[in-house]
Amino acid sequence: MKPPFYARFLIITLLCAILGTAIVIQMVRINYTTHAQDLLAKSEDYEGVKRIIYPLRGSIHDRSGHILASNQIGYELAIDLKFVIDPESVAFAVAKLIDHLDYPVVSAIASIEKQPEENRYFVITSFVSEEIKQEFEKLEENYALRRQESKSNLPSLSGLAWTPMQQRSYPEGILAANLLGFYNYFSRENAQGVFGVEEAYNRILTGKPVIVFIPNDPYLVEAYPAITPGASLVLTIDREIQRMLEETLAEAIDWSGAVSGTIIVADPETGELLGMASWPTFDPNNYAKYEEVFPGNTPYNKAIGATYEPGSVFKIITMVAALDSGVLDPDTTYNDATGVYWVAESWPIYNWNGGAWGEQTMTGCMQHSLNVCLAHVAIDLLGPDLFYQYLQAFGFGRSTGIDLAGEANYPLRLPENNQWVELDLATNSFGQGIAVTPIQMVAAASAIANDGKMMSPHVVKIVKDGEHQYEVPLQVINSPVSEEAARTLTDMLVYSLQEEASSALVEGYSIAGKTGTGEIPTELGYTSNQTNTSFVGWGPADDPKFVVYVWLEKPSISTWGSEVAAPVFHNVVEKLVVLMKIPPDNIRLQLANDQKDTE
Amino acid sequence: MKIRILQAYKQAPWRVQIQYIGLFLLALVLVSAIMGIYLNISAQAATSGRRIQSLESRIDDINNEITALTTQLAKLKSIEKMVKRAEELGFRPMNMNEAVYLEVAGYDPDPTLILAPPRVNIISESPVLRSSYRSSLWDWFMQQIWHASINPSQLEEVGP
Repeated sequence: MKPPFYARFLIITLLCAILGTAIVIQMVRINYTTHAQDLLAKSEDYEGVKRIIYPLRGSIHDRSGHILASNQIGYELAIDLKFVIDPESVAFAVAKLIDHLDYPVVSAIASIEKQPEENRYFVITSFVSEEIKQEFEKLEENYALRRQESKSNLPSLSGLAWTPMQQRSYPEGILAANLLGFYNYFSRENAQGVFGVEEAYNRILTGKPVIVFIPNDPYLVEAYPAITPGASLVLTIDREIQRMLEETLAEAIDWSGAVSGTIIVADPETGELLGMASWPTFDPNNYAKYEEVFPGNTPYNKAIGATYEPGSVFKIITMVAALDSGVLDPDTTYNDATGVYWVAESWPIYNWNGGAWGEQTMTGCMQHSLNVCLAHVAIDLLGPDLFYQYLQAFGFGRSTGIDLAGEANYPLRLPENNQWVELDLATNSFGQGIAVTPIQMVAAASAIANDGKMMSPHVVKIVKDGEHQYEVPLQVINSPVSEEAARTLTDMLVYSLQEEASSALVEGYSIAGKTGTGEIPTELGYTSNQTNTSFVGWGPADDPKFVVYVWLEKPSISTWGSEVAAPVFHNVVEKLVVLMKIPPDNIRLQLANDQKDTE
Repeated sequence: MKIRILQAYKQAPWRVQIQYIGLFLLALVLVSAIMGIYLNISAQAATSGRRIQSLESRIDDINNEITALTTQLAKLKSIEKMVKRAEELGFRPMNMNEAVYLEVAGYDPDPTLILAPPRVNIISESPVLRSSYRSSLWDWFMQQIWHASINPSQLEEVGP
């Protein structure tokens, strides 16, 4: 016999079982539908937000600690329509305080009715300065007073949203801009250093971004992990020397009518660059003008990014190579009887003035900058193998490896290349038919000034990463010539300048140096009257503390290096010895003797 | 048939009810207390969470302010501004011929800039804490027994 109500219990049980099964099926179905991922994603939105925290980009300092590049906070300004209660006031304030935003445009955005529901947050401009933001705050304070007085909720700037954003700042403005490069912070997440130190050290300056999950549930909130800012750099550059170089270069370009130029000061003992001025230049705070200032293929920093035929400054390389190899000494003579040297009986080489200078010692050849003499040294005494071996030892034909982005390099044409002819050996000996960068010339001249030891040219002195700093070690990259050869050439150049009464000389200081006038090739050959004028020199000659390189491109006042670049060198050194606290030779030697006596 | 009479005792029904009610109320008080503590702690945790968020935001603001002030200071101390101020005070750049050179013992004209301590490897030559401070009471006790059991002459023999 069936219990009472059996049928009813059975029906209710079945109904419950069907309902339960339906719920389970639905749960399984929801998990495997195409919308499941969307639902999961939506649920994550409610859990919280993931935020990428970018560490502060490292600062860049000069060798004394003055800030050359740092950060400041700009603001992204947006209109959040959820909170806008007075579109007219918002539009009025934005149009009044932000230059490039007009009232109708902002008003259209701020008018709630005109926007579809899903678009409620509009970014209207980025990198608004702190000063402008404060203006908005003052205006809002005024509006608040008016609201109190009128006891209404208008006028109001409610709905304006400010989000802080990192912005790169160069407090010194134009100073060392060519060397620093710039940081294209407008690109936001894709921002990176461009040119110079900013690009070369971009990775360590940037640091490591950290992804942080910010939960909406207050129970899950945790403190952010410690975020280490990007490494800071201390450069070898001295800002006073840098400023002096930039001023002198600007004056020189103005005076000479040159189209561009560069001046480099380096410490030959360490390879440290103390200053590097280049023209054209610009203010990296306003890097949007880059295309305007550097049109086409104009190098950002001509000191490392432009190759040119240096002319007679290159004779120091040929001569020191010959001295080192022992094929001549300073008193070796060359008889320039005709003023012409025939290469392979086919190509004539002439002196700069086309004249014949008679019998000359090697010192005389350097003093009078005789092309025929140097062609004779390269072809008859050194020969191609030895000559190009020395050029390669001095680093020509390859990058110096300076820690700046944008270094150019022009390969050497060597005897094993098909295009090489003997004429190349002759012209290369006096700096024609060969292209170099100013930094290559500085590295090579520094090696001679530093008793034959070639130091790696560099601009970063100290890296501060986290809680510690370390000094970038000095590197000897080669010893292309002996100490004896280097000193002999220095003495020859000191004597040459003094005999010539060069305008590069600085009273009280012994200076070794050489002028250069390089003809500029065109498609038809050396048909242009325009030249590259340059001067390389170092001092004090017995214990060099600086190497100065001056290059002025296509000056209009004169075509000769001795008349254009040499006086600029003089102006630089006159100020440099004061900034570097280098006493005149007599005082310096006297002090050294006094010190010896006391020891 | 022997009849055994047992004296039965039963509490009054109202007493039993009061006991049940008392027990129920005790449980209720305990549960309420636990819930109260839980709520209190939850509220504190939630408040702390929001405070952490607020402090993080404040840290961001302060860092932004420090960055802005550092940059502002650098701008005020830029070479252009300093030169201008010096000129306003009646100074001018020194001429090469006006320089007077003096020898100052120990003066370094170009000292290395210190932004942070240099990176060095710190190798401790001796332990900072004595071993007795790093062992448990049991370890120390056993060590003392072990030391006491060794003859000092044996120590000399095995010593280096």
